[in-house]
Amino acid sequence: MSIFVLHDVAKAFTSREGAVVPALDGLSFEAASSSGITCIVGPTGSGKSTVLRIVAGLEKADRGSVTVNGQDPVNAVGLVGYLTQRHTLFPWMNVRDNVGLPLSLRSLPAADVHRRVSAICSQLGLEGAEERYPYELSGGMQQRAALGRLMASEARLWLLDEPFTALDERTRHQLQHLVITLVRERRLALLFVTHSIDEAVFLADRVVVLSAGPGRMVDTVDIGLGHPRDRLSPAYGGLMERIRTRIESVL
Amino acid sequence: MNTRPEQRRSWPDRLPGKLLLGSLLPLLVLLLWWLGIRSGTAVVPTFGAVLEVLLHPFRTPPDLSSRSLAFSLLMTLLRLALGFSLGVATAVPLGFWAGRSRIVDRVLYPIVQVSRPVNPVVLLPVVTVLFGLSSVASVAVGPLDAWRHDVWDQVQLAMLFILWWGAFFPVFMSTVHGVRSVRTAYLDTMALLGATGSQVLRKVLLPHALPSIAQGMRIAMGVSWLVLLAAEIFPGTRSGIGYMLCTACKTSDYQYTFAAVIVIGLIGLLIDVLFQRLEQRAGRWQAAER
Repeated sequence: MSIFVLHDVAKAFTSREGAVVPALDGLSFEAASSSGITCIVGPTGSGKSTVLRIVAGLEKADRGSVTVNGQDPVNAVGLVGYLTQRHTLFPWMNVRDNVGLPLSLRSLPAADVHRRVSAICSQLGLEGAEERYPYELSGGMQQRAALGRLMASEARLWLLDEPFTALDERTRHQLQHLVITLVRERRLALLFVTHSIDEAVFLADRVVVLSAGPGRMVDTVDIGLGHPRDRLSPAYGGLMERIRTRIESVL
Repeated sequence: MNTRPEQRRSWPDRLPGKLLLGSLLPLLVLLLWWLGIRSGTAVVPTFGAVLEVLLHPFRTPPDLSSRSLAFSLLMTLLRLALGFSLGVATAVPLGFWAGRSRIVDRVLYPIVQVSRPVNPVVLLPVVTVLFGLSSVASVAVGPLDAWRHDVWDQVQLAMLFILWWGAFFPVFMSTVHGVRSVRTAYLDTMALLGATGSQVLRKVLLPHALPSIAQGMRIAMGVSWLVLLAAEIFPGTRSGIGYMLCTACKTSDYQYTFAAVIVIGLIGLLIDVLFQRLEQRAGRWQAAER
């Protein structure tokens, strides 16, 4: 069964002045497999983030149908994890409480929560930072902790909205490797929005290219490269060029 | 990687420096008072006479209808604690409700905006007519022994009402602001994790609104303190620091007037420092984010 299906989805927003701004128009695609990475790329205003919010059930499509694991996204509570570039962690909670939030919401015993959070922090390289608050962490560590919270949840579909954009290149690459490892180990489905073609080709099994707003699907590129990927290989460069050309053609 | 902010503060920002600098002017005033007024005047008593009152707080003033300084302070603080607590206890839940519900906000908005600017002291004559001399003792359920009856009888409902008025609006407004300014991203996170309403309240709304509520409480406490002292001067009152100050003035026992003024100032300072600490503690994460 597909982990998510979008069929003929349209969405428009109304500006403060009352003008209708179409964000998506007739978008259809799905992730047939229950694991793997799909990246969405497209120009600014192509509705990339809107797609994620609709799949998460945080926005309702004006037209078309959306299902997550065969059901309405609103009913897929706990199945979907969502991570954005900013405001991912609760600033009044330390790392331990932030990571353990999904567990504590399920009223698990405190000892269990503590043990599982420690294991997650250890896997993410956050040992020793458990008692720190988000404002005491670097951007990279904050995003690690946010990934930790997704790991603590039972979400099978992760929606990541440009989570590494604000990070330096080295940290970004480290976190990209980490995401690939987590997706493989946990057999997750990942829908990843980025404006970086390099990031899309490096991470994805499949790249969906959207047109300028309102977003429509203009191309789907199956990457067909194994991990780890060599950024300097001709195949990698060829895929980057193909996607760049497609995006430029719809600007 | 960022680390905890270093505690390298210059000496005026450290506690000993703050205490030293903050006590310079009061000490200078005391020194001038001590040197300038050696034998007391018709209005200004000697520093020693006032110190005598302050050092013997349980002594009943011989010529005053007022009770001892300690009892007066106890009554004032009791009224303050009750009235302020009532204000906070009603303002916080209503503030949360108005902050989350547009309908409740629309219902409350006009009455709050009309009532908020009304100085509670101005209401005192009206409220006194409304409540008469009714006190907590007159509405208390169950028997009270003589001492308790004496104390509760001096906590008038009219006074509690204006204290409630003074505390309610700053706390209500700050609670509404604290709740309404919660980022949608935090609520989205909770929704995706399947959190219940009470979990959202406990894990997000309350901690997020807490710095704002603490700020409102500090303002409310300042207002309540001023309002209470003014109310204690009002006819019908038989105790309290404000009452002591007023009666001592009438009988020209100015050492009690001065002692009351000093106590009012010191307690006001203490309360403000306490609430400032509370505000800083509650808003630590917010200050660090700025």
